[in-house]
Amino acid sequence: MIQLKGTNLVLRFPQVHPKAKASIEFMRTLRVPNDGNTYPLPAGLGSFELEHIEDHKAQLPEDWLKRGGVMLPMFQSEAMWISFNGTYPIALKVATGKINAITGELWTNELTDEPQNYVVLSEQPWLDGYAVEQGTVRQFVATPLGSGESAEEQITGEAAFGGIQIQAFPMKREVYKELFESPKLTDEVQQYLEIPAFLRRCSEPAMGLVPGGSIAQEIHKDEYGLDAWDLSAGSRCFIHTVNSEAWSELTDLPMPHKPISARDYKSANIPWFKYYAQDKKALPGSAILQKLKSKKEKPATKREDAEIGQNMSDLPVVKLRRSDVVTEGVF
Amino acid sequence: MLGDQIRTRRELLKDADRRYSLRQVAGRVGIEPAYLSKIERNEVPPPGEETIKKISRDLELDPDVMLAMAGKISSDLQEIIRKRPLLFSKMLRALKEAPDHAILEVVREVTDGDW
Repeated sequence: MIQLKGTNLVLRFPQVHPKAKASIEFMRTLRVPNDGNTYPLPAGLGSFELEHIEDHKAQLPEDWLKRGGVMLPMFQSEAMWISFNGTYPIALKVATGKINAITGELWTNELTDEPQNYVVLSEQPWLDGYAVEQGTVRQFVATPLGSGESAEEQITGEAAFGGIQIQAFPMKREVYKELFESPKLTDEVQQYLEIPAFLRRCSEPAMGLVPGGSIAQEIHKDEYGLDAWDLSAGSRCFIHTVNSEAWSELTDLPMPHKPISARDYKSANIPWFKYYAQDKKALPGSAILQKLKSKKEKPATKREDAEIGQNMSDLPVVKLRRSDVVTEGVF
Repeated sequence: MLGDQIRTRRELLKDADRRYSLRQVAGRVGIEPAYLSKIERNEVPPPGEETIKKISRDLELDPDVMLAMAGKISSDLQEIIRKRPLLFSKMLRALKEAPDHAILEVVREVTDGDW
């Protein structure tokens, strides 16, 4: 089951194992420059708000209500990364506009390993964008659905869905018991708790997502294998990304946040991050996603991009490892 | 009372759509118009679960609310409690005085629809 707790989607599979749970948070962040360079991981500057779609059914299109799920307000200038928290291994598929963000393929309800169409929680603490090549993702950047720019429109030629889709499959109970509940592994399992995820916290109403600038991030290969996942216990959620211009009209709520500018990021001296998981193999990335065009840049954004790109060397880069102890950053 | 609720709702719908006359609603539900009339005037005991559910569906009313007004509980809910009586009786008693928002916090799932 999936529940909404504050700004977290909480995944729980009590029928599989009492510990089979995780949470997913959609983090607001700066758009990294789309200038051919590959950047470190930008920090999260707060979470995107989430609302149950049924709470605003009076003003919503019928097809949105049929899909169920939650709504997420987003400015056109914003970018996002997705934060995963939890210790129980879960295979998670992530798509935008029903285009798989790991493989570039059209959405199916199946988990596949050839190619691997999911990330493994909690081995993968974050996902910042589309997996375009080994060690590099292109950032999730907002674009109005219907602009022709979204990954969905570039691949299918249609602006039918937009939003973000997730589907989660927990590890089978017997596999978990064998791998993680043997006494000698207790110390190793404990390390998963120490992934410093929160360190990074330092028109048409529908919004789509398009590949933006490049970020250094590996998508880890599944080391457990497809048989480890309980395919009978999957849960799905449709996250409707809503253009900030339509949010108040649809929900009678004010926009809960302001967009982040490159200037804000730089003036706050917020660090960038590099994440190392030396013992993990990385997926090669998707040839389909690699061919996608980026969001068209507006002149003002280009200036900001150039500014932040030129000043990258001024900003601190914090190196993180899986075994790093959690400490609160000063942002 | 149950009858008042059914009659008020049916007459409201009938103002906009003649298909909600006593005769036509009774026909769709599969009961005699005279019986529906007596139900609406509370002249007979509430009908059985299936009839209440059919009337609720036809008049776009919540069947659980209508069953509760008739002093009944849906058989599927009874079955849920019968399967795990200790767990559910404990849970329901614990939630008895809880405000609606607190109960929603405990049980509300994000919906998954057709996409």
